[in-house]
Amino acid sequence: MLLVNNIYFSRQSKTILKDINLSLPPKGIIHLTGNNGVGKTTLLKIICKILNPDEGDIFWNGKNIKKNHYDFCKNITFIMDKNTSNENLTVYENIIFWKNIFSSQIKINEIDSILKVLGLLQYRNTSTIHLSFGEIKKLELIRLIIEQKKLWVLDEPFVGLDLKSVEIILQTITNHLDLNGMVIFTSHTLPTIPNINTLNLEINE
Amino acid sequence: MKFLINPNRFTKFSDLIFKPLIYLSSVFLIIGIVFAFFLSPDDYQQGATVRIMYIHVPAAWIAILTFFIMTLYSIIGLAFKINFSFIINSAIAPIGAVFTLICIITGSLWGKPMWGTWWVWDARLTSVAILFLLYLIIIFLKNSITNINVSEKITAVLIIVGSINLPIIKFSVDWWNTLHQPASISKLSSPSIDPSMLRPLVIMTIAFMLLAIVIGIIRIKAEILKRKLR
Amino acid sequence: MSSLNSILGVFLRELKIHYRSFFNILSIFLFFILSIIIFVFAIGSNKELLNQIGVGIIWTIILLSNTLSIKKFFQNDFDDNSLIIIHMSGLSYEIIALIKMLAIWIFLQAPFFIILPIAFLLLEMQFDNLKIVYLSFLIGSVIITCISAISGSMNLLNKRNFSMGGLIIMILSIPVIIFGVNIINVSSNIEIIKAQINILLGIMFFFLAISPWASGLCIKISLQNK
Repeated sequence: MLLVNNIYFSRQSKTILKDINLSLPPKGIIHLTGNNGVGKTTLLKIICKILNPDEGDIFWNGKNIKKNHYDFCKNITFIMDKNTSNENLTVYENIIFWKNIFSSQIKINEIDSILKVLGLLQYRNTSTIHLSFGEIKKLELIRLIIEQKKLWVLDEPFVGLDLKSVEIILQTITNHLDLNGMVIFTSHTLPTIPNINTLNLEINE
Repeated sequence: MKFLINPNRFTKFSDLIFKPLIYLSSVFLIIGIVFAFFLSPDDYQQGATVRIMYIHVPAAWIAILTFFIMTLYSIIGLAFKINFSFIINSAIAPIGAVFTLICIITGSLWGKPMWGTWWVWDARLTSVAILFLLYLIIIFLKNSITNINVSEKITAVLIIVGSINLPIIKFSVDWWNTLHQPASISKLSSPSIDPSMLRPLVIMTIAFMLLAIVIGIIRIKAEILKRKLR
Repeated sequence: MSSLNSILGVFLRELKIHYRSFFNILSIFLFFILSIIIFVFAIGSNKELLNQIGVGIIWTIILLSNTLSIKKFFQNDFDDNSLIIIHMSGLSYEIIALIKMLAIWIFLQAPFFIILPIAFLLLEMQFDNLKIVYLSFLIGSVIITCISAISGSMNLLNKRNFSMGGLIIMILSIPVIIFGVNIINVSSNIEIIKAQINILLGIMFFFLAISPWASGLCIKISLQNK
């Protein structure tokens, strides 16, 4: 259960977020919408505690994440607008790196099957510098499976993906929700997921 | 003492003391100059050039003191998240740099008749020159990062690291100096200074301090206004 | 236990990345050798003179070559947000900085141990001194790595002024240069050498203590305002 309470955030004397409240139960999914610059990404960064809010608290299972920062990090996967895969490493090396740092239990053949579904298997030993933008984005989204966390925080996950991949991602999200997972994501298109809550952020004057 | 960490109180307090400070500092400066140039004796060795000391020493004091204040404010600002301390830092860093430069220039003007050259790799000169370079790097670093929230905090980190490093540099330059050349200026650091020379020195030091405070107040207020405009 | 896994994972990745950009690193050492050759061209191949100032030249150029590698520290990982991912796996920024310093030391400082004898050859210096230079470099390289980490993390958001990082390294490493070079001048007296090594060690521990804090803080500030 994620609870976001009265978040205020301002940057360089410009208020970006004002009195934001969220609650996300298990199996819940929140779709953040809003025009450019209303602070969707900022809100996600605050939830992941990369930014500190001016006021307000975030609770995870009843505990304030200020005090349990690293415990909270164990439950959260953050897909950002940037691709964190390193361009000097191959696809497989990037995956192994994520597997190592998140102490994932995932098996090698599972990874191979995921790569196959996403059409990346042929690039298994290619440096990511040779991949196209959409392929790197797909590689980034594999982190969702590797990390095996409860809460998924996705910033524009569908940008640059073809229709088939979007379908696969949506299917993955639905499966995750069925397993008591939680998802919060931003997107400018409305994906077809049942029981979706939409939160529209508006520009604060 | 709240005015030291609160911009509004600082503005009020400084408005209150600004005019008296100006009068006081000009009075001290005039008395000091009169004493330094007319009412103090020549040194029996150095002649009239000893009068450079009355500018050189106060400038050196302020150069070091400013860095000390900046270090204190950096620690306070980073530890307690007080933004006003960063305003003060960015306002007084150029003051410190200018007084360090004055110290170096007067030092070399003094050195020319004394040692026969403008520049000697003497321990004190060298460490003051390094202090000046550190001031410049601090100012440059602050100006080379566009986002002011980042630049002031990172500059504060550099000030803290630099301030701890300064004694090490001073010590190592001393060490280096003793290895490289004989102590040429031991005659300068005479153990006791004559009261007739001490008097103008003290007055000039006070005058310079007051002057630095006046300039500091003006710069800090300008900096506060600049942030409000943004 | 899991954080140990993360540390190992990050370290292995660093090694792989540095290994992939091997020619990049090699060119830094090429810079070192080339600078020494140019130095010899500039001052002439007078054996006695070179013998006298050789260590000074070596230390100066080591410092300059280090200013070339600042961007290798955090910049790439900062730009593509990998630092956030690593941080969210449960490592504090201070530990990340320490891991990176270790990797950088292995790839950018340790090879100098192989190259230093070549520099000695080129400068026609006495090989008796090589041991002492090795010792002082072993300590000095750690200090320079710490300083580079501080400087690299300070310039993450600095897009305007590219010489800033080098300036910070140079002003902070003055003590290293002084003691690193002096150690050879006093090499006849074993007691003074001991004293200087102790001082260098003191500076090293001081920077080892302060640089993770300083770089961690700078990374955090920069990430928050990206």
